[in-house]
Amino acid sequence: MIKIENLEKVYKTEEIETTALNGINLQVKEGEFVSIMGPSGCGKSTLLNVMGLLDKPESGSYKFIDTELLKLNDRERSNFRKRNMGFVFQNFNLIDELTVFENIELPLIYNKVAAGERKRLVNEIIERMNIVNRSGHFPQQLSGGQQQRVAVARALVTKPKLVLADEPTGNLDSSHGNEVMELLCELNEAGTTIVMVTHSSHDASFSNRIINLKDGHVISEKINKGRTEELI
Amino acid sequence: MFKLNLKIALRNLWKNKGYTAINVGGLSIALAAFIVVILYVSYETSYDKDVPNYDRIYQVGRSLPDFKTEYTPAPLAKAIKDHFPEVEAVGRTKSIPFEFPMTTDHGRVYTTKALQLDQETAKMFNIVPTNGPDEEKDLKLNMYIPELFRKQLFPNPKTTFPQFIMLGPKAAAQQEVVRGTIDRIDQHSNLKFDIVAIGRDIAFNDQDYGTNNHNTYIQVKQGTDILVLEKKIDQLYKKELIKSGVPANDRRIAGRSVIFLDALKNLHLKPIAGNDTNYKVVMALLGLSILILIIACINFTNLSIVLATKRAKEVGIKKVMGAYRLNLTIQFIAEIFMQCFIALVLALALAEVMLPLFNSIFSTPLSIWKGVSSLAWQLPLILVVVTLISGIYPAMVLSGYKPVQVLKGNFQTSYKTLWLRNFLLIGQFGIAIIFIVGLLVVSSQLKYMRAEDTGFKPDQVLYIKNIVLFREPASFEPLREKIAKIPGVNNVTISSNLPDGSKPGTNTYKVDGKEATIDFIFTDYNYFETLGIELKEGRFFSKEFKSDEENGAIINETAVARYGLVNPIGKTIRGCGMDYKIVGVIKDFKSQGFERAVDPTIYTVKNPCSFSKDKILINVDQSRMSFVIAALKKQWPDINKTDGDDFRYEFVNELYGRLFKKQEQLQSVFLFAATLTIFIALLGLFAFSAFTIANRVKEISIRKILGATDFDVYRLLNSYFVWIVLVANLIAWPAAYLLARKWLDTFAYRIEMPLIPFITAAAISTIITVLTVSIQARKAVKTNPAAALKYE
Repeated sequence: MIKIENLEKVYKTEEIETTALNGINLQVKEGEFVSIMGPSGCGKSTLLNVMGLLDKPESGSYKFIDTELLKLNDRERSNFRKRNMGFVFQNFNLIDELTVFENIELPLIYNKVAAGERKRLVNEIIERMNIVNRSGHFPQQLSGGQQQRVAVARALVTKPKLVLADEPTGNLDSSHGNEVMELLCELNEAGTTIVMVTHSSHDASFSNRIINLKDGHVISEKINKGRTEELI
Repeated sequence: MFKLNLKIALRNLWKNKGYTAINVGGLSIALAAFIVVILYVSYETSYDKDVPNYDRIYQVGRSLPDFKTEYTPAPLAKAIKDHFPEVEAVGRTKSIPFEFPMTTDHGRVYTTKALQLDQETAKMFNIVPTNGPDEEKDLKLNMYIPELFRKQLFPNPKTTFPQFIMLGPKAAAQQEVVRGTIDRIDQHSNLKFDIVAIGRDIAFNDQDYGTNNHNTYIQVKQGTDILVLEKKIDQLYKKELIKSGVPANDRRIAGRSVIFLDALKNLHLKPIAGNDTNYKVVMALLGLSILILIIACINFTNLSIVLATKRAKEVGIKKVMGAYRLNLTIQFIAEIFMQCFIALVLALALAEVMLPLFNSIFSTPLSIWKGVSSLAWQLPLILVVVTLISGIYPAMVLSGYKPVQVLKGNFQTSYKTLWLRNFLLIGQFGIAIIFIVGLLVVSSQLKYMRAEDTGFKPDQVLYIKNIVLFREPASFEPLREKIAKIPGVNNVTISSNLPDGSKPGTNTYKVDGKEATIDFIFTDYNYFETLGIELKEGRFFSKEFKSDEENGAIINETAVARYGLVNPIGKTIRGCGMDYKIVGVIKDFKSQGFERAVDPTIYTVKNPCSFSKDKILINVDQSRMSFVIAALKKQWPDINKTDGDDFRYEFVNELYGRLFKKQEQLQSVFLFAATLTIFIALLGLFAFSAFTIANRVKEISIRKILGATDFDVYRLLNSYFVWIVLVANLIAWPAAYLLARKWLDTFAYRIEMPLIPFITAAAISTIITVLTVSIQARKAVKTNPAAALKYE
C-alpha cells in the first residue's frame, strides 16, 4: 500500500542543518501494523509526519497505492489526508471547546458527510469504543485513557485506509496504555493499516513488524513472529 | 460546520470571559465615541441638505480689500436675474439686527432672529408657511410666526389667521398682521429665524448700490460653470456700481475681482466670508474619533494575537483533519465579526447615554434614532471596516500555524509577532500621550486667558438691553441721570458695541496724509470709566469740553502705531466725512478675546458712519449688585420711557466669557479623549500583561528558587512595559509639540510652549503602566514555586 524510496528531510535553523531522514526506503502492506522505533531524534516522528502529509521532504518518493503524494499541492494533500488517513497523538490533541461527540464528528464535517449520516457514524464508533456515556463530556472531564479512546475514535470515524499513531501511550499509565494498544490491535485485525511511532518495546510487541531508525537511516527490520502468526 | 465553529467560538469567548470583556468592552467604548462623532459630523455637514436643489444654490458675496462679506446691495439680485439665463432663481434675505417684543392680549415674546425673505428665497429653501395666501400678486410683506410663539401669543388652538399683533415696546408699538404660522422649528439650516416676513420684493425696488444690507442667493441651472458665472456677475456688479456714481478707479473695485459665489454646502462650516474654525473643529473631532477607534482596534488585534496561542491546538487539529487555511481564516474573521457586532450593539447603548452630555457641550440636538438616517448605512460599514482592521491580522496569524509544530506541544508564539505587538503597544500609548499633552496645553492656555489682564474690567458691568436708538448725548442724558441716582451705580454710558468679541464697523480714516482702515465705536461720555479702560495719554471724553460732542476722538495704542504717530494728542483724524481732533489715547484692551490681536480703533461721540447707540452699560459696586438690579427693574418703566416694558440685562463678564467657549469645548473634548485613550490603552495593557505574566509563571518560579526577591520579579516584569511606554513618549512628544504649537499659533495672545505637560504625560503614563503591570505581577510573585513547577 505504501512505498517510500530515498526519502530525505533536512531541518535548517540559522546555524545548523540536521538531517532527520537520510535516504529512507520503506514499504507497508495493506492490513499491516508497523512500529517505528529508535532513540530520540532518530527521525521517527519526522517520518510519521511525512507519511501523514503534515511535512514535506526534500527529495524521494512516497507512493500510496500507486499515487505519488509528494507531487501534490497543499490543497490536494489536505484532501488526500482527510479521505485516507487518521491520526492518534501522544497528547491526544482533542479540541477543549468541543464535546466528545463533537470532536469525533469534526473529520466527518470536513469530509462533507451529511448530518444524519454523521450522527449514525459517530454513534456507531462511540459504541464500539465503549464511551457512550461520555459523549456529552468535554475532554478535560475525562481520564487520559478515555481521552485517547476518543482520539482513536476520531481517527477511525472516517474509516481511513491508514492510521498513523505517534506515541499513543506516551501520556498514559500502563493499564490505560494497554487498553489503547489492545484497541489498536482490534482495529488492525479488522483490516486497518496502522503505522505507529513508539519508544516502548512493549507497545511495539503488539505490531507485526518493527522498523528501527537511527540518525535518519533504517538500521533494522524485525518481523514480530507471534503477531504475524496470529495474523495468519 | 458553521454550527460547530459557532460553538467553538462561543465556548472560547466564555472560557476567556475576562479577556473577552476587555476586548469587546474597549472596542464598544471607542465605537460609542465614534458613533457620537459621526452623528455630529453628519449633522454639521448636512445643513440645508434637504433643500431640493442643494448642489445648485450659491450665496453671492463681496471681497473687499480688507475683508470679505456676505452682504450685497439690494438691486444686485434683480440685475443678476435679468442678465444671466443660467441663473434659475435669485432671492434675498435681510435680517433685523436687534431684538424686539411681539405682544397680544395673551402674552409677549421677544424675537431675536427676525428675517425678511423674498418669495424666491423661500421657494429655494423650501420654506412653506401654513395658511399662506397666494402671494404672487401680493406686493407687501406677510409675517409668519413659529408654532412656539403661536402657543404663547395665541393660546387657543382654534385661532384662525390672519391676526393682529403689536410689534415693539408698548410706548412705541406698531400694529401688524400675522398672516399665518410657519412649521419650522428645525435650526438645521443656514437661514435661521424665529419670525419671518415673506414678500415678492423685500427691498421694494430699492436701487441703491451704496448700501449693502441684503444677502443674495442664486440657484443655477444644471451644468453651469460657476467660475465663469462668478466673473460675469463681478463685471455686472462693477458696471452697476460705476453707473451709480462710484469712480472706476475706486480701490474697492479697480483691478480686482469683488464678487464671489459661495456654495450652499460651504456656508455653515467654511464660508468664504467668515472663518473655517467650525470646519476645523468638526474635522479635528472626526480625526480624533478615528484615532480612538484605531487604538481600540489595535487593542483588539493585540489581544487576539496574544490569545491566539490558546487556539493553536485547535488550528493544528483542524488542519490535520483536512481544513484549508481559507476555512480557518474565514472562521476566525467570523468570530471577530461576532465580537465586533456585540461591541457595536453595546456601543449604540453607550452612545445613547453619552449623547445628552455631548449635546449640552456642543449645543446640538443629536439623536441616534431620528434625524440623521445616514447612520443606517454607516453602521454596517463601520462594523465591516472594524472587523477587517482588527480581524485580518489575527486571522492570518492563527490560520497560518503549522500543525506539526503545534501538535507536538512545543509551540511558542513566534518572535515575528513580537515586534508587531510592541509596535501596536507603542502606537496606542503614543496616541494617549498626545492627548494628555494636548489636554494640559489647552488647560494652560485657558488658565492664562482667565487670569491674564484683558485691559478692562467687565466684572461689575451690567449690559442693559434696549431697542431705542440714541444718537445725541443729550437724548441719553435723562436716562443717565436717573440711573446714576441709584446708590451703588458708579458710571453709566451707551455705545454701539459691546466688548464681547463682536466686530465693530470699519472705515477708512486719515491722519497726517496716511490712510488706514480701522474699527470705529460710536460711544458716549463715561464709556472708558464704565469699562475700566486705562488712559495712556491725553484725557477721556468730558462734558467740560463741549467740543467732544462735535469732533472729539480717542484712539487706542494700536491705532497710534498704525499711523506711526509720535505726538497724537491734538492731531486731526479725518473719516466719515468729517475732521476729528484726537483728545486721548487709551491702552489697548482685548475686546475681541485672545485669538485676534487688538485692532486699531477710534472712539467718537459723534459718528455719521454709525447707525446708532443702543447698548446701555452700567458700572456697579460689586457689593450692591443685587440691590442695583432690583432698583433698575423697579424703576425701568420710568427710566426708559420708550422701551420700559421689560428690564432685560446681562453681565458683561459673562458675555466676554462666552469667547472662551470654543476653548472650553476643546478642553472637554481633550479631557474626554485623553481619559478614553488611556482607559482603552490600559485595558489592553492589563490583559496583555496578564497573559504575558501567566506564561512566565514557570520562569518566575525558577528564578525565585534561584534566589530572586519579590522586588527583582516586579522589576523584571515591569521593565519591558516601562521601556515600551518610554519609547512611546519619545515618539509622541514631537507630534504633540507640533500640534500644540500649531494650536497655540491661532492665538494672538498666548503662553509660551510649556514643558510641564510633556513631563506630566511621561510621568502619568509610566506610573499607571507600572501600577497596572504590578497588579498582574503580584499574582506571579505570590505563586508558590513548587506548585507552579509540579506539572513539569
